Amino acid sequence: MDPSGAFNNSELQDLIEQEKQRAMLNEMVAKLTSVCWDKCITGTPGSKFSSGEASCLTNCAQRYLDLSMMIAKRLQSMSQGQGFRG
Amino acid sequence: MDSFGSSSSNGSGSPHMATGEFMDKLKTQLAMAYAEQFLETVRGNCFEKCITKPGTSLSGSESSCVSRCMDRYIEATGIISKALFSSMR
Repeated sequence: MDPSGAFNNSELQDLIEQEKQRAMLNEMVAKLTSVCWDKCITGTPGSKFSSGEASCLTNCAQRYLDLSMMIAKRLQSMSQGQGFRG
Repeated sequence: MDSFGSSSSNGSGSPHMATGEFMDKLKTQLAMAYAEQFLETVRGNCFEKCITKPGTSLSGSESSCVSRCMDRYIEATGIISKALFSSMR
């Protein structure tokens, strides 16, 4: 509406939300890389990854996703009144 | 974030900045913060992996370990990214 391009609240909100999502994804990649590096790269870094190290890193990321989904589902079933199981 | 302070180029005296300019500054700030965080992680990890007994200077093997470590860490970031985003479909 404003030809000078000054603050348009909802457009700005959308753009900020996009950047927030992008930042959260970057944060997740950074955190996961750090965790998986510790788990998978046990010795001194070489001039390339061994196939074991490379597949460990891939597996690590994918298992983390599985774990996230499992925790979300379990939390949902807990909050739906199925109670805490021991 | 005081780099988002009022723009003096607006003749009407309003403290507002154009949306585009604001978003450019925001993206720059975020990119810089991300890069700094990334470097801090690489520094910490590679120091731990490569400098086991700090001496009076960096030895040749420590230096080449640090180079390799940095390359591998960047590579690891790519592998993790790819694994996450190909799974999230």
